[in-house]
Amino acid sequence: MSAEAALDLSLRGQAAAIAAGDVDAAQLLEAALGRIERRNPAIDAVVETFPERSREMLANAPAGPLHGVPVVIKDEWPLPWRAQRFGAAEMPVPSEPGESGPYLALRDAGAVIAGVGNMHELGSGSTGAISFYGPARNPWDTERCPGGSSSGPAAAVSARLVAGAVGADGIGSIRYPAAYCGLTGLKPTFGRAAMAGHHMAEVSTTIVSGPLCADAADCRLLASALYREELAAGEAQGLRIGIVRDTVTDDVAPDVRDACEAAITALREETGGELVEVEVADLEAAALATVLIANTEGLAGLHPSRLNGLSPELSPIARGLLKYRLLLPAAASVKAHSVRTLMRRRLAAALDRVDVLAWPTVPAVAPPLQAPLVELPSGTLSADQANVRGAALANLTGAPAISVPVGLSDGLPIALQLQSAWGQDELLLDAAEALERANGRRWVDSLPPLAQPEPETTEA
Amino acid sequence: MEAANRADEFIPAGLASFGVEADDVELAVMGAAHAMFWPPILALLELDTNGVAPEPDPDLSRPPAG
Repeated sequence: MSAEAALDLSLRGQAAAIAAGDVDAAQLLEAALGRIERRNPAIDAVVETFPERSREMLANAPAGPLHGVPVVIKDEWPLPWRAQRFGAAEMPVPSEPGESGPYLALRDAGAVIAGVGNMHELGSGSTGAISFYGPARNPWDTERCPGGSSSGPAAAVSARLVAGAVGADGIGSIRYPAAYCGLTGLKPTFGRAAMAGHHMAEVSTTIVSGPLCADAADCRLLASALYREELAAGEAQGLRIGIVRDTVTDDVAPDVRDACEAAITALREETGGELVEVEVADLEAAALATVLIANTEGLAGLHPSRLNGLSPELSPIARGLLKYRLLLPAAASVKAHSVRTLMRRRLAAALDRVDVLAWPTVPAVAPPLQAPLVELPSGTLSADQANVRGAALANLTGAPAISVPVGLSDGLPIALQLQSAWGQDELLLDAAEALERANGRRWVDSLPPLAQPEPETTEA
Repeated sequence: MEAANRADEFIPAGLASFGVEADDVELAVMGAAHAMFWPPILALLELDTNGVAPEPDPDLSRPPAG
């Protein structure tokens, strides 16, 4: 098999092909770098490559489960040769090169970091529409948002520059781009995946690292590396699927609602399970509580003199929002922690009755980059305002969640989110695989125009 | 006066109390954020959580104790 053709394999397919000697890892890396050079200008998914570092990583790669497989890592994690830039002209806190947890996990699994993925500036957006590097673009439609903040990792996998990427999810930042780009994205249980070296690692109670891949089996493989434990596969038989009727979960575009309802029905049938209506009240308050917690945990580093010296190269939105954080009332922050306690108990009570909760990952397909607004039954909302409502609960409570592609609307992906109890990340992957079986892998195998296999070229 | 409309007073005064400067564009961004966040913040403050027993130092990798 040619290295170019191997790039179109799954992550596990690439690992198996290398292990079997069917593909040369060095050639695969060169093919990935070549494909990045060809396809990336249209999507700005990868903001930096470092071929010599990548070759060096491959030369020293151990015989791990990802031996020789090229991957992309979000611009949120330091590497030994590169400080993270967080998609911004200036970090809110000083950053330095280093061996971050995800880097070490990838290295020890034998993976090769082929490039750094773009991201929404300072991680503070669900669309990916703003970045110091210019926004990443959605491979399904390059005028559309790729989702954020892990915009580049998602666009890179969606365009098949690589088969797997590591993102980070503080409030939906793996699941939004997975949803917009037609990928599977896992937000691990808090504390389960590698987190060391993140500039917020010591203070954040919402951020986790996690995988973005084409399907659940690839997410399982990459997550196993990030967790440093093998995530065993199961069957998800008799799955009890919780349906929440709430303005937040019901205020979704009709095409998204229809596709998600069809997927839930298919999942129930595939697993021989049942649908159970459950109540998780105050999801809107939970979303705001998550935003408040996530935006105030780093305030100790944002003293006034620093705010007065922000780089003019930061976007006005970033500068304004950083300064606005100072004005968030302490009483609301304290209340947010009460809401966290309340929602953790409510989620635990709901998950006593069901195995997973299911609702749309995002309420509408990827909006235009130039105007990231979505049309919902309740009216026109900014995508950020709409998206956070369905994603925040997992970050607030610490529980895991996964986004799975379940359809297309006008050529743009639709996604279903599944959430399970703490530590049951494996069950989410099992359920996602069951859903893939139920729909004949139709959606995980769908490719955007940019990712269609290229004709093989022959040397004269 | 609607709470969200008080941004013109609240934001410059709040920033001034910290000695933080902002240009017109930043103030406009903050005004938009304020209009979006302040009403739900006020609603959040009204949410009755008095009966919620505290979960001090929660272990977010696990379900709540008890």
